[in-house]
Amino acid sequence: MASSSSTEHTVKDNAGDGAQNPETKEEDKKDDSMFECNICLDTARDAVVSMCGHLFCWPCLHQWLETRPNRQVCPVCKAAISKEKVVPLYGRGSSKQEDPREKVPPRPAGQRTEQEPGNSFSGFGFGDNTFHMSFGIGAFPFGFFTSTFNIGDQRPHAAPQGTQQHMEEQFLSKIFLWLAIVFLTWLLMA
Amino acid sequence: MAGMSPSERRLQKELMSLIKDPPPGVSVDAGIAEQNLLHWIINMEGAAGTLYEGERFQLQFKFSNKYPFDSPEVTFVGPNIPTHPHVYSNGHICLSILTDDWSPALSVQSVCLSIVSMLSSCKEKQRPPDNAFYVKTCNKNPKKTKWWYHDDSV
Repeated sequence: MASSSSTEHTVKDNAGDGAQNPETKEEDKKDDSMFECNICLDTARDAVVSMCGHLFCWPCLHQWLETRPNRQVCPVCKAAISKEKVVPLYGRGSSKQEDPREKVPPRPAGQRTEQEPGNSFSGFGFGDNTFHMSFGIGAFPFGFFTSTFNIGDQRPHAAPQGTQQHMEEQFLSKIFLWLAIVFLTWLLMA
Repeated sequence: MAGMSPSERRLQKELMSLIKDPPPGVSVDAGIAEQNLLHWIINMEGAAGTLYEGERFQLQFKFSNKYPFDSPEVTFVGPNIPTHPHVYSNGHICLSILTDDWSPALSVQSVCLSIVSMLSSCKEKQRPPDNAFYVKTCNKNPKKTKWWYHDDSV
């Protein structure tokens, strides 16, 4: 396994004097595996760490997130995970301090052209595409009832309290009120 | 190891660590695996103190070049297929980590341990209730089966 031994070699070089001692070498190896990506098992490159503390190469984690786009969980502990919630790690040795997340996503960046000068309408805030408008016909059922059931300007007087007619009228008015409410809710839901 | 695909690199690493430091009762047939990294045979012993004590089983692992993002295809092969409520007589295993719950942080070793543990917690040796029908109708690849994981007790 050529590459594995070459990794060890680099570790030895970095460790310097202690490398000759077999015990230290074993420890070095342990330290090295502490920084292995949980997916490719190599030392993490373009390392990112999840909120749950698990280390990955960004290319590896990105590929996993792409594999299951609607179920993004940490491969190690199954905690929720997302591109926005991983932290890139910058060691002292890394030459470029650029966010690894910027590099891999194959998704191309959006094309943005500058607005042409002279278009003065943007000041109203309608420039963005988030403007919405909605209409409602709130009074419709009541207008319907008044025009249908109260024709003529001579409204009959309410029946005196306690009579059979009064009870019936109360009952009817309740029914109509409920009908109106049901109709309104139906209108709102539809 | 230059010119190896990422999946082969990872499999090579796993193979080395499994040869060097295998979990108890598990050993890999290094010859077969080294010939073709995408096809491994694992020898497994039933754990002591369980219904499978003293029995030996063979597991076959088939990897795609999308490994570890794609789960391996794992089946029991050879003369002795364990009699277990989650193991069909054709060697197919009903185990969620082999399909839906697969994660690239799992490995051949962790899959082997899961299977040993699945066997060890068995209370009564029996085939799955739908064994006869499944074995007759299933695809050769267990990953094509729409498994229904409902029993977490074994």
